Amino acid sequence: MAQTPQGKPLPQITDQTRPFWSAAKQRKLVMQKCDRCGTLNFYPKPWCVECGNRGLDWVEVKPYGTIYSLTTAYVVMMNYPDWKDDLPVIMCIIDLDDGARMYGQLTDCAPDKAHIGMRVQAHFVDISEEAAIPKFRPA
Amino acid sequence: MRAEVAIVGFGRTPYSRVKPGERIYTVDEYLAWAADLALAKAGMSKNDFDGQGLGVAHAEAAHTVNWSAAVAESLGISPRVLLRADQGGASASAMLIRAAAMIHAGIVDRVLVMGADTPLTIPSIAPGLPLSPERTRGVFWDFQGPFGVMGANAQFGLVHARYLHQHKNRIKPEHLGKIAVTTRYHASLNPGAIYRKPFTVEEYLSSRILSDPVRLLDCVPMVNGGLAYIVTSVETAKKLTDKPIYLLGFGEVSNYYHGSRNQPDITYTGFEQTVPEALKMAGVQHKDIDVFEPYDDYPMVVLIQMEDYGFCKKGEGGKFVEERDLTFKGDFPISTDGGQLSGGQPGGAIGGFMPIIEAVTQLRGEGGERQVKGASIAAASGFGGMTYARNNRSCVTMIFGSEA
Repeated sequence: MAQTPQGKPLPQITDQTRPFWSAAKQRKLVMQKCDRCGTLNFYPKPWCVECGNRGLDWVEVKPYGTIYSLTTAYVVMMNYPDWKDDLPVIMCIIDLDDGARMYGQLTDCAPDKAHIGMRVQAHFVDISEEAAIPKFRPA
Repeated sequence: MRAEVAIVGFGRTPYSRVKPGERIYTVDEYLAWAADLALAKAGMSKNDFDGQGLGVAHAEAAHTVNWSAAVAESLGISPRVLLRADQGGASASAMLIRAAAMIHAGIVDRVLVMGADTPLTIPSIAPGLPLSPERTRGVFWDFQGPFGVMGANAQFGLVHARYLHQHKNRIKPEHLGKIAVTTRYHASLNPGAIYRKPFTVEEYLSSRILSDPVRLLDCVPMVNGGLAYIVTSVETAKKLTDKPIYLLGFGEVSNYYHGSRNQPDITYTGFEQTVPEALKMAGVQHKDIDVFEPYDDYPMVVLIQMEDYGFCKKGEGGKFVEERDLTFKGDFPISTDGGQLSGGQPGGAIGGFMPIIEAVTQLRGEGGERQVKGASIAAASGFGGMTYARNNRSCVTMIFGSEA
C-alpha cells in the first residue's frame, strides 16, 4: 500500500488521479473542468459536482489564489511524525483565481505574517518518483 | 411523524483512557455491555429483538465485511432489519430517524441501536502504528493527508479561523472558554464523565495552542466506550415504561453547502436547514426548548450550532454566550452531562449517541446533580464527518419531549 507507516503519508495514485500528480511533477497545477458547464472540480471527482456530467477534462489553472482560511499547527497530530521537522505547519484553504478551492500549505512565511486574504502563488515539492505536491508562498 | 416513536431505554458503558494494567475491552464487548444496560433500563431481553430492528453505528475499529450482520451474530440476535450508519457523529441520530421511519411503516415495532469504538487501542489512531486501511483509501483522503492536513484539529481550526475573520469584533476567546468551562463544570457533576476537575476561563486561555486558533482545552478527548438506546412504537413504549421520551421532530441533511458548491461560506452548517424542519414537525418554538444538547467536539462547533439553530443570529454567538447562563441551573443549559468535550468521545463515530442519551436522561428527570428542573422539551444534535475544505458532512436535529 502506498503509505509510510510512520512519517508523511503518500497518496495512492490511480488512473483517475495520476494527471494531477504527474502535472505537479511538471510544476503545473491542473484540475478537472466540466466540458458541459465549465465548472472546475477539485479534489478529483467522478463527475461534475455542479451538473453531473462525466465529461471532465484536465486543464491547467492559474497558480494564483487568495487565502480563505488558515490554521498553524504547532504539534504533529494524527500519526504523521515526519511533519515534525516542518513545524509550525501553516495549513490553508486557498481560493484559486480560476474559481476552485483547495487545501495548501503556506511556506516561506512566518505564522504571524500569514493572514486571510493574503495573495499566494503555488510552487511544487516532489514527494516521489511520480508525484509532487503543490504548496503556496506569498505572491 | 410527530411523536410516533419513543425511546424507552438507554445505556452508556464506563469510558476508558486505557491506563496501564486496565482490562481492555473490544468493540463487541462494549456493544454487548451498552446493550445490556439499555435492555435492563427498558425491562427487555435481547430476544425481544429477534424479528425486529438492530442498528449498528460504523466504528473505525470495524474492518469486517458485513459488519452489522457480524454484530448480530456475535450478540445472538436474529433481526428482521439491520441498520448500519456510517455518518460519523451523526450515525446515532441518523439511525433514530431510519428506525422511526421503519416503525412508522409497520416493518418493525422496535429497534435496538448501538455503537462502540476503541480509538485508543485500534491501529488507526494509536501512536506509532500504521493508519488503518480504511483511512488510506479514497481520493478524498489522498488530497488531505499528503498535503499536511493533520486531522480534525486542523479542519476545525480552519472553520474557527474563518469565523474569527468574519466576526472579529464580536467574538472573543473568552466566549469559547465559557463553553469549555461549562462542559467541565457539568462533567464534575456526572460520575460517568472522564475529565471531572473544573477549570477556569483563565486556565482555558492559557492552555497551549495546538492548531491556531484551536487550543488544547478546545479539543475533544478520545476514549474507548459504547452506548445504546432502544426506540419503539408509542404503543409498546407505554407498556414498557411510564416515562417514554417521544421523538417530536427531526431534520437531516448531508453534504450541505451555504452558497456556491465550489466556494461556500464554511462558517455555516446544515443545521440552518434541519432545525426549521425539526421544529415544524415538533410544533415547538425556540423558547419552548428547556435544554440543548449540541454536538460538542469543539466549543466553536457549539457556538456555530447556537447560531445555525436560530437561538441567535449569525455572528452573535459570542454575545449570546456572554449573556446566557449555560449551566443546568441557567437560562440556556447545554451539554448537561459534560458533553464530549469533558465526558469523552468514544471515537469519531460514536460520540453522537451522547446528546440523545443525555436529552432523554434530562427529560426523564434522571439527571441527578445536573438535572435541569422541569425539563420537558430538549433539542439534540448529530454532527458527522468533515468535508474537504468546508464544514461537516452530516447534520441531524432532533426534538424530544416528555409528553406526546
